[in-house]
Amino acid sequence: MNELDDIDALAGEYVLGTLDAAERAAIAARRRREPALDRAILRWESQFAPLLDAGEPIAPPADLFARIETRLGLPERERPGNVVELRRKLSLWRSVAAASTALAASLAFFIAWQGIHAPAPETRLVAVLQKDSASPAFLVTVDLPTRTLTVKPLTSPAAPDKSYELWLINAKLGDPRSLGVISAPLTVSQRLHGYDPATIEASAVAISLEPKGGSPTGKVTGPVLYSGPLISAPF
Amino acid sequence: MAPPTGTTDLVVLMRRVAAEDREAFQMLFRATSAKLYGIVFRILRRKDLADEIVQEAYLRIWRRAESFDPGSGSPITWMAVIARNLALDEVRRAQPVSIEERPELMDVPDEFVHPLDAREKSETWARLMACLDGIEPDRREMVLLAYHHGMSREELAAKFGAPVATIKTWLRRSLMQLRACLGDERA
Repeated sequence: MNELDDIDALAGEYVLGTLDAAERAAIAARRRREPALDRAILRWESQFAPLLDAGEPIAPPADLFARIETRLGLPERERPGNVVELRRKLSLWRSVAAASTALAASLAFFIAWQGIHAPAPETRLVAVLQKDSASPAFLVTVDLPTRTLTVKPLTSPAAPDKSYELWLINAKLGDPRSLGVISAPLTVSQRLHGYDPATIEASAVAISLEPKGGSPTGKVTGPVLYSGPLISAPF
Repeated sequence: MAPPTGTTDLVVLMRRVAAEDREAFQMLFRATSAKLYGIVFRILRRKDLADEIVQEAYLRIWRRAESFDPGSGSPITWMAVIARNLALDEVRRAQPVSIEERPELMDVPDEFVHPLDAREKSETWARLMACLDGIEPDRREMVLLAYHHGMSREELAAKFGAPVATIKTWLRRSLMQLRACLGDERA
């Protein structure tokens, strides 16, 4: 049996479904970088496809489509793609930031949910800041037209003698610019009128741990706990 | 509007779904979900898992609709393959599955449909049936049980009273026999 036959047999077993979980995963990964294997799989899929008509259709539960819609975050008719797009970006960002924790995932859902219920301004930017599942998490949203920024700490407040301080980071601005201290009642809004929307859009945000009341110098003095890019979330 | 069932209708719907048209997505679901649910349920044999996997399949269909290429096959096949692959991943992941845990598989009948009984008389169908017809009945049944019911080598071994290694060899031989009969072109 030569190599091509071998690939074809493997592809055939993959399509037939008889490979075990590890083998299936390996093939799914390999086909992305091995065009010959991918072609062999597509050919078997196509040649076996008539069998897909052999079985009886079975009506799914009546609420299944509603459940799918919920998972897509789609109940708002007017803006079908945006929340999905946000979720895509969020998941991309999460993988980049290595913060793909259960909490971050639930935040993505939270954001989608919030998007459904919020009025629909032109443009919003959002960042979820969380280092790992044991760390506090922050949801940062920027409303560009009004240049209003909101931070929602979603877990524990800072220690009594410390404050969390929010920074706008953009190479064009030089040093990080303070956007204010995130204080009780755990939500702070800060006008961003000193910055034009394009600058804000191209910025990242960071949170540092500063002495009570914020950095005494106007520059970051404490450890930077989190940073992340603002991503477009036009919900 | 008549329910969309033809390939052309589905291609139009897929294009709209690719543009994130939610109404088209719902129409696509209505037109195709019973078929996909049937395929998935026959593999998983559990309603809760089938519900979950069919949801997963449609989420994937929604997200990947733009990558669907009408030149490479019909939308329904493309969708069914997505659903079936997810179901197979799931049934293999939920291991170890022994034949004892899926006793119903012992009673799955040979579902081979002879060309003359085929409800679809397309050339592709006829060709596949003719080629399957050329395989020894036991081995043909293995192929069909694997394809329709997601039976693993171990499950086939238990059902046919043969060692797993033998099943593997038979499956491979059947596949090579099919390849020789079907040819190298995509259907």
